[in-house]
Amino acid sequence: MKKLGLLAFVIILILSVSVVPAFSQDDDTIVIGFLPGVVDPFYQLMEIGVNQAIADSGLNIELVVQIPESFSPTTQTPLLDAMVARGDLDYLIVAATDKEQMVAPLQLAHDAGVEIISVDTFIGDGDYVNGPITFPLSYIGSDNAEGGRIAARALAANVGEEGKVYVQNVNPGISTTDQREEGFREGIAEFPNMEIVGVDYNEDNENLSVQQTAAVLEREADLVGIFGTNVFSANGAGIAVGNAGLSGAIDVIAFDATSFAAEQMRAGVVSMMIAQKPFDMGYLAVEMALAHNAGVTSVPKRIPTGYAVITMDNIDDPAIARFIYEVGE
Amino acid sequence: MSVNVNQGGEKSRYRQLILTLSRVWAWVFLAILIVFFTTSVNFSTDGSVNFLTVRTSQNILIAITPVLLMGLGQTFVIISAGIDLSVGWVMGLSSVVTALAARDLAAGGTEPYLAIFIGMVLGVVVAAIFGVINGVIIAKLKVPPFIVTLGMSFIARGTALLVGGGMTIGGLPPEFRNVGNEALFYLVSGGEKAGLYFLSAPELSRESLRSLDRIFSWPVVITTIFVAMAMFLLHRTRFGRHTLAIGGNAEASLRAGIPVDRHTILLYTMSAATAGIAGALHTARFSGGDARAGDPLLLGSIAAVIIGGVSLFGGSGTIIGTVIGALIIAVLQTGLVMLSVDPFWQFVVVGVVVILAVLIDQSRDLIIGRGDA
Amino acid sequence: MATNGHTDPVLSLRNIVKRFGGLTAVKDVDLDVSGGEVVGLVGDNGAGKSTLIKCISGVYHPEEGQIIFQGKAAHFPRPIDARDAGIETIYQDLALAGNLNVGANIFLGREVRKSSLGGLIKTLNNKYMTNEAKKVVESLDIHLPNYEQQINNLSGGQRQSVAIARAVYWDAKMMIMDEPTNNLGVPEQRKVLEIIRTLRERRVPVILISHTLPDVFEVADRIVIMHRGRKVADKRVAETNSQEVVQYMVGALDDFPETRSA
Repeated sequence: MKKLGLLAFVIILILSVSVVPAFSQDDDTIVIGFLPGVVDPFYQLMEIGVNQAIADSGLNIELVVQIPESFSPTTQTPLLDAMVARGDLDYLIVAATDKEQMVAPLQLAHDAGVEIISVDTFIGDGDYVNGPITFPLSYIGSDNAEGGRIAARALAANVGEEGKVYVQNVNPGISTTDQREEGFREGIAEFPNMEIVGVDYNEDNENLSVQQTAAVLEREADLVGIFGTNVFSANGAGIAVGNAGLSGAIDVIAFDATSFAAEQMRAGVVSMMIAQKPFDMGYLAVEMALAHNAGVTSVPKRIPTGYAVITMDNIDDPAIARFIYEVGE
Repeated sequence: MSVNVNQGGEKSRYRQLILTLSRVWAWVFLAILIVFFTTSVNFSTDGSVNFLTVRTSQNILIAITPVLLMGLGQTFVIISAGIDLSVGWVMGLSSVVTALAARDLAAGGTEPYLAIFIGMVLGVVVAAIFGVINGVIIAKLKVPPFIVTLGMSFIARGTALLVGGGMTIGGLPPEFRNVGNEALFYLVSGGEKAGLYFLSAPELSRESLRSLDRIFSWPVVITTIFVAMAMFLLHRTRFGRHTLAIGGNAEASLRAGIPVDRHTILLYTMSAATAGIAGALHTARFSGGDARAGDPLLLGSIAAVIIGGVSLFGGSGTIIGTVIGALIIAVLQTGLVMLSVDPFWQFVVVGVVVILAVLIDQSRDLIIGRGDA
Repeated sequence: MATNGHTDPVLSLRNIVKRFGGLTAVKDVDLDVSGGEVVGLVGDNGAGKSTLIKCISGVYHPEEGQIIFQGKAAHFPRPIDARDAGIETIYQDLALAGNLNVGANIFLGREVRKSSLGGLIKTLNNKYMTNEAKKVVESLDIHLPNYEQQINNLSGGQRQSVAIARAVYWDAKMMIMDEPTNNLGVPEQRKVLEIIRTLRERRVPVILISHTLPDVFEVADRIVIMHRGRKVADKRVAETNSQEVVQYMVGALDDFPETRSA
């Protein structure tokens, strides 16, 4: 067994010696890593933004992409370590899958000389100036609480600023959806004639979402709107509304604008989408990396990317439609 | 020969009572739940909301369709003293395959309903293949079902995510939505269009939208057909008898010439296939293929089977029991939401009922004895 | 109640040898069983009784020797093949599904069906199976309180008799019973012995393995004693007594010393 181990060690040694030089490029090549949270259209659109910014820069840039198979630090960390182990990475654009658990691995990467740029999600509390974590270069992403407030205001405007509304959430404990719900509560509180009659958690399952919404529709005869904190929650709620024959009578707002959500909107299941701007996040992240590389010392620690509200009235407007997370196959 | 049984008629009567109670408690419990929610929902809303309505009953029926379909195959498997943990992700895989096939066929010019039908059949077939593999490994290689189906669950998960690219598969023919959401009957209560309509709903004004009820939507109809078939299969045919025999005494079944291996393979194939039907119907209801559609339902479906009185040791159980089990869970969930009970309590209550069911099953065994124990 | 030793034997074993690795569990055993004959097979633990009958019932395959069943050389690759040929082995509780009723057990694996839904599908004919079960059980002079009940709810002796009734129903040509009276109450033991007598009247040969010598003396026609894998005695019951049998069992007596090859 010892001999076998030695053999393996030698093989690995030879391989690494022979492979490493292939990575070491000219000194003026900038190596940027992109490590999103999981395979999904949101991050795919972000990757398109990254690529676009690299193309627009005209510089000699090598992009290294790794994508975790599930949204979890357990799957993301090994990929991170592998990227850092290359030894030539200058910048890492990363959507950390956990704000606490990813701190240490990213700190190690930073210590190895990689500049970190957070996209979509953050580590620590997201405040890279005064918060506990300050080593990343910047956090570029939308503010989920703000997204919740925007959803509340858009819904209020649509229903005449009065009536009962209901929230379909995924699971308690997920920072993004919790913040969306919280922002939505704050937003609804701005309207004295509006009231949230309840929140239910569907475990990210449309079937349970339908069941819960159907029961709430029975309980609250005068419900005017439902906020789904992600696409599945909204889709399930919308199906229940449709089955009760109330399509059009009750507004269903979906957070995020996947192409599937857009489809559900065209079918009348969902009435409004709150779109984030992943393309912007990816593009700006590369811009900030290049700025830093060029010697800019005042890269903003926080760049909020904002939202677009998509409804049936503006979905065919190309200026709005481009916010739908649609990627060509 | 009847010496033992006849001594102590008291004891025998007592046993009989326990036996009867343990058999019908789920029905009684379901009835109590319905009465409880009807009165308490009425009370808590000062009579403005009613639990016992056509609509709520239909909502509950739709909600249990995927759980029940998964539970049907699972009932057979657990009766044979096995377990199938793979059905959750197999359902998701079927949902994705159904969506992809229907989408691409329709895009290629196939008539939409034909594309949908072929897609659904394909989803079920792919699911069934996973069941065949489960069954072969369990029957021929003698690996415990718990381990095989746990492993297969991961394989199905990976396959579903690979095939679907980890995303919801949209872009389906719009007719798909009809299959998942339209109904056999439409009831309009009140208004000038009041009445029962067959197959299609009348046009209603915005104000009277709430007076329309869909009765027996297609997923409910399809599930009902499969429930009837499963009942027939388990209680009336040789296949069902052999399933019970294998669960009661696999060794004896083998000695009696029952092809136990082949039967086991069939059971796991069936279990995966019913999960596949659930997946195909999921795609129809939500007009999207979703790899994760079934995973959160797995434990609920096993809970339904257990509440329904199927012994985890195998050898006993009924299909109607599983239906009642699924109904109990759905009535609880719907009722608690209508009562505005904190959502976390819903899990607690379902958990309590599952443990209660197993306790009742065990106390029955303690009192009447199992085998020569 | 003829114990006819002159008719052709139903089962003949010739020079049966079964080894497990270096250990010879059964050594050169000859045995003949004729119609209507009850043969008691006795011996200490490890004497080779169980191995021998497992060679007959297809569980084990002898390395040497011949099994002749109903005049023909027989080879049973699996237990089910022995059963199909008509050799039924009755183990305590092993062969019944406790969760099924009497009829279902008697027809286990050979269920009788009827056409249903206009011949579209075949369903179980439970009524017929229960009736037949009742007939065969009662023909053995056994009375069960309820034929719809699970076998689990029956006593050990009742279950034993259901197993025997099943063998009778399927026209067993020969029965092997392994300790059929173990764990039974006295009245039930008597009942099982009675059933064995009934079987003899029907000319079904029985090999009875038992540790309880009085039982063997009560029902058997012949007694075959094994010691360390060999047959050491084959005597008519009338010609021996339990004291002598014990002598054979412990190896103090030996009628076939020539098979004791090194």
